[in-house]
Amino acid sequence: MAEAVHPESHGHAEHESTGVDSRKLGMWLFLSSEFLFFGALITNYLLYSNRTGFNIYPREVYDIPFTSVSSFVLLMSSLTMVLAHNAVSRDDQPQARTWLFATAALGSVFLAGQVFEFTEFIVHYDMKLTTNPVASAFYVLTGFHGLHVAIGVFMLLSLWGISRFKGRLSEEKGMNVEMVGLYWHFVDIIWIVIFTVVYLIDAARV
Amino acid sequence: MASDTHPPHPSIRQYWRIAALLAVLTAIEVALFYIDNALELGAVNVALLLILAVLKFVIVVGWYMHLRFERPLLNRFFAAGLIMALGLYGVVLAAMGILAIRGN
Amino acid sequence: MYGYASFLFFLLGGIEALLLRVHLAQANSEFLTAGAYNALFTMHGTTMIFLFVMPASAAFFNYLLPLQLGARDVAFPRLNALSWWVFFFGGIFLYSSFIFGTSFAPMTPDGITGNIPINGGPGAFNFLADSPNGGWFGYQPNAGPFYSTGTAMDYWSMGLQILGLASLISSINFIVTVFNMRAKGMRLLRMPVFAWMTTVVAFLMLFSLPIIAVALFLATFDRQFGSVFFQASNGGDPILWQHLFWLFGHPEVYILILPAMGIVSEVIPTFSRKPLFGYSAVVFAGAAIAFLGFGVWAHHMFSSGISPVAQAAFGLATMTIAVPTGIKIFNWLGTMWLGKIRFNTAMLFSVGFVAMFVIGGLSGVTHSIVPSDWQQTDTYYIVGHFHYVLFGGAIFGLFSGLYYWYPKLRGRLMNERLGKIHFWLMFIGMNMTFAPMHWLGLQGMVRRTWKYPAEAGLETWNQIETIGAFTIALSILFFMYNWWRSKTHGEPSGLDPWDARTVEWMIPNPTPEYNFAVSPVVESLDDFWRRKYTEDEEGRAVRRPEADQVIADLEEIGHNPPAPIHLPNPSYFPFLVGLAITIISYGIIYHTSAWGKALIVGGVLLTLISFIGWGIEPLEDEPDDAAPGNLQPAEAH
Repeated sequence: MAEAVHPESHGHAEHESTGVDSRKLGMWLFLSSEFLFFGALITNYLLYSNRTGFNIYPREVYDIPFTSVSSFVLLMSSLTMVLAHNAVSRDDQPQARTWLFATAALGSVFLAGQVFEFTEFIVHYDMKLTTNPVASAFYVLTGFHGLHVAIGVFMLLSLWGISRFKGRLSEEKGMNVEMVGLYWHFVDIIWIVIFTVVYLIDAARV
Repeated sequence: MASDTHPPHPSIRQYWRIAALLAVLTAIEVALFYIDNALELGAVNVALLLILAVLKFVIVVGWYMHLRFERPLLNRFFAAGLIMALGLYGVVLAAMGILAIRGN
Repeated sequence: MYGYASFLFFLLGGIEALLLRVHLAQANSEFLTAGAYNALFTMHGTTMIFLFVMPASAAFFNYLLPLQLGARDVAFPRLNALSWWVFFFGGIFLYSSFIFGTSFAPMTPDGITGNIPINGGPGAFNFLADSPNGGWFGYQPNAGPFYSTGTAMDYWSMGLQILGLASLISSINFIVTVFNMRAKGMRLLRMPVFAWMTTVVAFLMLFSLPIIAVALFLATFDRQFGSVFFQASNGGDPILWQHLFWLFGHPEVYILILPAMGIVSEVIPTFSRKPLFGYSAVVFAGAAIAFLGFGVWAHHMFSSGISPVAQAAFGLATMTIAVPTGIKIFNWLGTMWLGKIRFNTAMLFSVGFVAMFVIGGLSGVTHSIVPSDWQQTDTYYIVGHFHYVLFGGAIFGLFSGLYYWYPKLRGRLMNERLGKIHFWLMFIGMNMTFAPMHWLGLQGMVRRTWKYPAEAGLETWNQIETIGAFTIALSILFFMYNWWRSKTHGEPSGLDPWDARTVEWMIPNPTPEYNFAVSPVVESLDDFWRRKYTEDEEGRAVRRPEADQVIADLEEIGHNPPAPIHLPNPSYFPFLVGLAITIISYGIIYHTSAWGKALIVGGVLLTLISFIGWGIEPLEDEPDDAAPGNLQPAEAH
């Protein structure tokens, strides 16, 4: 035949016209779309937080010291996450498990803090989802963020479990650790935005 | 087929240093909260908080998410979503009277 | 599968339309009850957009994208299956509202005139009134907990949520496929236009679907959990719904039309025997339309009380979209100019697309002028506009693609005589139905309203429209018969029935399971044409002497892959996750009851377990497994 043909050596394998692993590319795209998701929720909050006439506003009830601590916890979980990924790339399974578990633990501490915070607001201040639009906006925004954290914790514990019970996280699964890591860091940076815009800046107006 | 040639990752020590930096930035933010309570800095406070938040954002994305060392394609995809979000929601907030534009 | 499912929904949406048209053929008609009328126009719109055009486009993307790129499959086969199952269950979920949905009189305030009576009032088909009835755009607070009591709009908001998820997942899959799975030498600017439009649409979906996801979550929370986002009496803002919905809704219409534009950009060059005029311009115009399309959403809100500055800005932005659109139109015409045109059915539909889309586009330009839009909005003028661009545009484009690529699917050609009858009946019917809507609208016929008075003088043209609608229906019967019959009686097509230009025609018809036995090495745009034709000194195409041998060789190697080909194994997990998400959705609607809560818990558990199973499951068997379904090479000659 006159034309050169390029036989496929393995069926599905690494077909990468861009040189970036497909799963990584897919995860970055997904995270990019999440900006639109959280952006809408933050906009929703900013809209109602700037309307007057409601009986109570979240900024009046924030406990900034408390939230600062839980924000710090989440931030540090990003450190444990990169350490986990680093361990996997060195094929150090016990270390990987340690840091994966630590990340999940820190994430859970953060969630516990959220639950405590919400309970305070509901019980002490009578600020519920149904109270007024700005309260609704606050709970839905932080609630969806918390849901994302919870899903992340689930994925981290699953990876921990695979390492523990299936012997090791393989090179293929190594990419999974990287992907979960990207997701986890993203959830962290969304919280960086929320903490600054929704908590700190808003609280300064009181 | 060419596999993903992994650009070099930061070392463990660097990761810890970055974490320390992030902790310091957070501490400044919290300190600002108390300073503003006392001194009423107003718009300056907002500006400083936003700058600190952007710094933390860039550090986590650049080093922990490794974007600084990856191919530009990933950077562009990620930035596209961010820019679209900022642009679209900025217009919505302006249209709904939250962000003031001259003439609105 | 997407194809058959979407076609089924096309028929259902069509029946909904026919019922509406029968009702509207008469002034003061009581053929349908008011509740049934509301449900029918809601479900007609929702079905056609989310359950027909989008999945039909997905069908084309799924099938053709790998073929046009010279690839074997999409980047994430199991995620692809997930999109399908989520769509499938989402469609069932939405339509189950006809059985399970409920709709009652508004809760507050009492006794307003125009309330739908409990027993439905005059008219027939009242059993339809319990399905979603708040319009396909679900404006709040009308579609909220107080004014749309019962579960009908719950099915709508959750159903759309599920369907949106399916599309979001596909969009990630398609983008990665386009960027990573191209054959060697297939640079981005050598891809067929259809592949480009797929990419652009995928980005549109990626960025717009999260916005409606939020809007639907907010609406669901209002309806289910008592939040007050859109309840004006509690300080909520209905305009927020409109912004969020149309931020999605406008890119959505470009999601609906760009695939068809991609198809037309393939068909017209093939049957004009000329390359597409201005390939780069067409590609960039498509990207420009998408990008600008994100900036014009509030033109759906000109009469909702937004500020004059906003109206001027969005009106101006809307006008700019005419520019890239015009570029495409002129380039299609330029392709046909001085070409050797063959007017078979596929070409007729594509040319019809160009003509009908121009008409629809022109009425669109009139909407961009704000004071003019104030007259047109909420009248039938708008209905006429969007049916010209969606029916005369998107649907004609899709049919063009079906006739063009049928040989790829079945190895046979569809019957041309039947195809032309289909085209002309549909063309005449479509114009009869939708053209009069323009002047009826300007004469005051209002949208989404159960009755129009006899004195308004609107009845005659409405009757003509109804006849047109039934003409369309008749044309579809011809199509369906042709599709079915050609499977066994159609003329065998061979590898290259149309003397085509692009890489997907380089494999045998019908397409082998593995697509390409060997991946082609691409050296130019329209690479297949290059292999068959060269140019003489005057730039005319001259068939190469070896062209027939090239085709014979492709046929041979296409059936006899030289190396083992591993296909991904089938997996249960996408099915389970799709099912689980639907179970959760049913649970949320009925969450106040015990079994509703149980559904939520069960659904969540099923999702989590399926994720773990999916994560552990290998994509393919290890190379030394000889599992059935893995193809072994034929004996080497």
